[in-house]
Formats: sequence, C-alpha cells, structure tokens
Amino acid sequence: MTLLALNNIEIVYDQVFLAVRGVSIEVPEHGLVALLGANGAGKSTVLKSISGLLKPERGAVTRGEISFAGRSILNVDPPERVRLGIVHVLEGRRVFGHLTPKENLIAAATMHRDRGHVSALIDRMFETFPRLAQRAKAESGYLSGGEQQMLAIARALMTEPRLLMLDEPSLGLAPFLVDEIFDIVRQVNQRDGVAVLLVEQNATAALEIAQYGYLIENGRILMGGEAAVLSANPDVADAYLGGHQKVDYHAVKHYRRRKRWLA
Amino acid sequence: MDWILLAELSANGVFVGLMYALVSLGIVLIYKTSGIANLAQGAVAMTGGYVAWALGARAGLPIWLAVPAALAGMFVFGLLMERLALRRMIGQPIIMTIMLTLGVEIMLRGLLPGIFGASVKRLDIGIPQDPLFLGDLLINRATLIGGSISLALIVLSLLFFNSRFGVVMRAVADDQTASWSVGIRVERAVGVAWGLSAVAATAAGVLWGSNQGVDWSLSLLLIKALAIAILGGLDSIPGVLVAGVIVGVAESLATGVLDPLVGGGSRDVVAAVIILVTLLLKPHGLFGRHHIERV
Repeated sequence: MTLLALNNIEIVYDQVFLAVRGVSIEVPEHGLVALLGANGAGKSTVLKSISGLLKPERGAVTRGEISFAGRSILNVDPPERVRLGIVHVLEGRRVFGHLTPKENLIAAATMHRDRGHVSALIDRMFETFPRLAQRAKAESGYLSGGEQQMLAIARALMTEPRLLMLDEPSLGLAPFLVDEIFDIVRQVNQRDGVAVLLVEQNATAALEIAQYGYLIENGRILMGGEAAVLSANPDVADAYLGGHQKVDYHAVKHYRRRKRWLA
Repeated sequence: MDWILLAELSANGVFVGLMYALVSLGIVLIYKTSGIANLAQGAVAMTGGYVAWALGARAGLPIWLAVPAALAGMFVFGLLMERLALRRMIGQPIIMTIMLTLGVEIMLRGLLPGIFGASVKRLDIGIPQDPLFLGDLLINRATLIGGSISLALIVLSLLFFNSRFGVVMRAVADDQTASWSVGIRVERAVGVAWGLSAVAATAAGVLWGSNQGVDWSLSLLLIKALAIAILGGLDSIPGVLVAGVIVGVAESLATGVLDPLVGGGSRDVVAAVIILVTLLLKPHGLFGRHHIERV
C-alpha cells in the first residue's frame, strides 16, 4: 500500500527559480526509502514540499500532486499535515536551544490532549534515547551534535507519525554516532512500523538500511530501484559510493566518464 | 541627608516601578514569541483604561464587572491587532513591522480622546486614597496596592511560561520553522501572546488610570515600559521585575533629590537616560537571553 505519493511535482522558489521538476516518489506503508543526491540536488526541497515548510522560504509546488494516505495534501497547512501523520526532522537538527530536552518533547506534543499520554510518550523517548534522559535538565543548545540529532528525532516521534522524514541525520557526526542514529531509524521503522523517507549524502549508510532508493540530481530523479540494485549499479557506485574496484591510474583517460543517464 | 525621606522615596519607587513593569511585561511577551518590539504598548494601556472607564461610566456596569470585561475585551483587541495588522507583515523587513506598531500607537492616541472627549476621566476602582504609615514611612496606598497587583500578575506570567502552553510559546520564540515542523500552530501562539500582552497593558492602564485619571497621557507609559524592557533585556520576565524596581526607585529618588536642585522635571529624564546608558554599555540588558553557540 502506498502511503505517500509524489506525482510529477515541480517546485519554484520566489516564482522564478525552478528547483525541482518532474519528481515522482512513492513511499509504501511501513517502508524505508532513501533519497540520495549531491549538494543542491533538490533533496531538502522535496522534503519541504511534503511537510509544507516551503512557504516560509517563499517556495511553492506549481505543478503535480502530493497525496498522503490517498488524500491530496497540497492545500493543507504544515501543522495539519503533522496531525495527519507527516513529520519532518529538519536539516541541521534545529532543536529548541533554550529549552531542556524534556521541554523540547513537550513542545512537540500539542496534538495530544491527554497529559498521561504525553508523559508516557516522553518516558518512551527517554527509554529509546537514554543519552537524552541523562541530560534532561540541560539546555538543549549545549548538547553535543549527536545528542541534538537524537533529540530532533525523539521530538519528531512525539507526534506519533506515520511517516518520518529525516533530512541529513548524519550531517557532521562521528562515524560511530552515524551508526547509532541509523540503528535507531531502523528500529523505529521495524518495531513501530513508521514509514521513513531518508535524505542522505552518505549513500553507503543509507542504502544499507533502505529497501528502496531514489537518485536525484539537478532537481530530477535519475533512477529509482531496490536498494541492492542501486548499490550494485556501477555508475551509482562510482559517483556516490566511492568506487568499487581499484583504479589503475595509468589507464585513466583524461575525460570524465560519460554519465549515460543524462543522455 | 534625611534618611527617612530617602527610604520613603525608595519604598514608593519600588511600587511605582512594579506598576511600570506591568506595561513592559506586554512588550516582553511579544518580543519573546515573535521578536518584534511592540511600540503600541503605551496606547494599548491607555485604550484599556478608556474601555474600563467607558464600561463603568457610560454602560453603567459596576466596577467589579467593568474591569474583567475590559480585560476580556482587550484580549480580543490584541488578537485582532495581530490578525489584521501584524500577520500581513510576515516576511517584510522588521523595521516596517516596528513602524506599524508605532503607527498604531499614534492612531490610538488620537482616536480614543476623539471618541470619548479629551477631558480627564475619573476611574475609581475602590482603592482608598488615604495614606498609610509603615513605621515612620509614609506609603502611597494606591501605588502599594497597584504595585502588589502588578507583582502578582508578573509572577503569574512567570508560572505561565512553565506550563505546557508556555513551553510551546518559548519553542516558537526559539525557532518558528522547527515549531511548524512538529505541528505547533505558530500563528495561534503569536496571537495569544498579543492577546495576553494587551491584557497586561489593560491591567496597567486601569491601575494607572485609577491613580491619575484616564486620558491620553496614559500612553506615555510607553517610554517607561521601553526603558524597563531594554534594561531588563527585552525577553526576560525576571528582568522586567528587577528593571522595573530599578527604574521606579531611580525616578523616585530623582524627584526627591534632584528636583530641588535643578528646579523640577528630572523624573521624566530618568527613563531616557536609562535607555541610553543600557544601549551603550550593555545592549542585551541585565537578563537578556544569551545566544547559544557551540564550537
């Protein structure tokens, strides 16, 4: 069953700058999908169009259709989209720096009326992220990068989403922390059945946990396929995974490999 | 030097300062949630005073009903001000928004005396005027009660910011985009901040109005409120308390000590001097929020 479907969308900033064109993506219910690409390829823009956060940046979806759980959401306000079950963990973590981790979690629970439910959720987050429980009284702005990333994910999970969108969760983190974060993402996906749309530059790590991947470049989807198929593709391997084979530098010719998919 | 006189001036200054602080509480509330310095706060306090007077004297409500009705009405006034004027300015340069609030201030200053007549209105909320002796100190009963009510309201707002909704308002102050991303209705939180700020202003307007009568000069409270807000750090409620007391005592002492020397009028200079000195020496005020930067 498809949970989220983007159908041929086009995104324009400031009514002139075309950032994304003709992108179609599907995220199945309980699926884990990776969206890969280099800097400025349009990955974050796609996520913002799904969560509705394009508006403060004066961007708009000018063509195409976004539907969630079978219903078009283009005219739905960002807070309402969260209530439908879409949550977006922003790039650069963006925790509420002057609030404690616990207050961060409380602030993200505006959709739950029941206080008991909120404190049960908070307890569960502190169980899943024991590091946060240790620093529950500190100002979040002083947490380490990894702790802030965990807090950002925990804060998003407070909304009890059906779709969790993560924008570059590994950005600026030490490798062992990246592993920890990705373990958590996998756990959320498998244990809680939350569908995940993962935007990453770290393609190796992302394709390891994803079932399905899309490759985006210059605002276009280049290819999409099973994660295993993508990582086996020699072009993807060269461009995004750091190459498969040893390269014999004597044989390297002085022109760049032709990217067949651009033809 | 007459120590009794100084102590008396200081004690009265504390209560007057707390009454000023109630006006700047509204400025801080708005600055904390939306990052705008609301220069209409003085006129909103004046409007609150006029509304309470009109409900009592014109509509014939008893005063215990007129004041709560004015507070409720002014909450709606604050909401509408945000909804109709300020929300349109989202995405515009901040200076234009501040100019807009200044425009509202000037408009209200002309509009309300225009409607109700320019003469000073008497607003009696039942505080007896006879003086009160604490030991040897002569305390103004009206400012004592007014200051205590202000203190209670400011402490109440401190508690409010630790409640669930208060945490959400602080989150909005920290990062609006991130607030949207986790489902916080940012516009609603900002609207409520404007409403509450108008309530604080109205309470101050009623207290001051009962003291000195209701007329356009109530809006001059803006200058004192700004001095307190700036000295306190613009986004700190404890800062408002401390700065309010400082400004109140400084003014009171200036009246008692400097006026005989310079021939009067030093009271109104104090707020201006405090604004200037704060901005020059400590632009973030005494309790202004530090900017967290990790390296």
